[in-house]
Amino acid sequence: MSKSTLNDQDPAQPDRWEAQLRKGAVEMAALASLWQRRLYGLEIIRYLETHSQLALAEGTIYPVLNRLKVEGLLTSEWVEAEAGHPRKYYSLTEAGRERLRVMAEAWTSFANGLSRLLEPVLNEKEKVQ
Amino acid sequence: MNTNNQMESYLATLRLQLAPLTLSEREEIVMEIVAHVRDSAEQSGASVEAVLTRLGPAEALASQYRDGLLIRRASRSFSPIVLLRATMRLATRSVAWIFVFFLGVFGYSFGAGFVIIAFAKMIVPSHAGAWVQNGRMIGFGAFEYGMPSSAHEVLGLWIIPLGLTAGSLTLLLTTFLIRNSLRVSRLAQSRL
Repeated sequence: MSKSTLNDQDPAQPDRWEAQLRKGAVEMAALASLWQRRLYGLEIIRYLETHSQLALAEGTIYPVLNRLKVEGLLTSEWVEAEAGHPRKYYSLTEAGRERLRVMAEAWTSFANGLSRLLEPVLNEKEKVQ
Repeated sequence: MNTNNQMESYLATLRLQLAPLTLSEREEIVMEIVAHVRDSAEQSGASVEAVLTRLGPAEALASQYRDGLLIRRASRSFSPIVLLRATMRLATRSVAWIFVFFLGVFGYSFGAGFVIIAFAKMIVPSHAGAWVQNGRMIGFGAFEYGMPSSAHEVLGLWIIPLGLTAGSLTLLLTTFLIRNSLRVSRLAQSRL
């Protein structure tokens, strides 16, 4: 949907392209963070920061979680915490787990294919250095 | 502004901008954001102001929630206004949607035009029709002024069922096209 964003920029400054790439991965990353246990929004943000280099603008994750919930991939529950206010915990539904499995396979085969394609580019860079 | 005021004004803006959502949806979002700000401030030792800055403007946050809602509602709606509004919003993001938007405007105007001609034939029969002069069609529709006397009208009352059929088909096709595009975009959004 956003082909045009690739064209209107300095080729040596891939910031916007990288931003698009990250944005595209947010939903999968959010689902993946919940694979082992339920988390609340801020925990998801921290989890993504520590387990991947996916540093998100904090406001980005909440609308995404909302959408994933509407799609039936996540459920949420409010849990009273010691902090004195309730927190909204998210967990994967069965449909969410299934979707994530499919995404993980597609992502991995896509990334492997592209890595082979990019090998010569990266090798050349090493020789120059 | 002190911390409380800042928080209150952020939440007030958020509520205002989330007006299209239901009350329970809106309050749940606000509750979640409140929890986020408190937790984030406590855990990182940052000020409420800093946390709010990291969250981004309330307008931008609300608009991300509204986008999802708009597309969701529109893909279930049959109203040209709802459908065109959703398309217009998406048209600010991508070229493909600008195309869908113009196709939508075109389709709705054409469809409505056919229907109007059919009704005009019922109300002012002498001013609506298809006129032919020297073997060439010189006018199709409803006209305020009459046609030259050398032209003759060929369709007669047939223009009523014809206009109604062509009009409703065009309107249906346009609606189907926009709804289908919205569906596809919803799937794309959730599968990315």
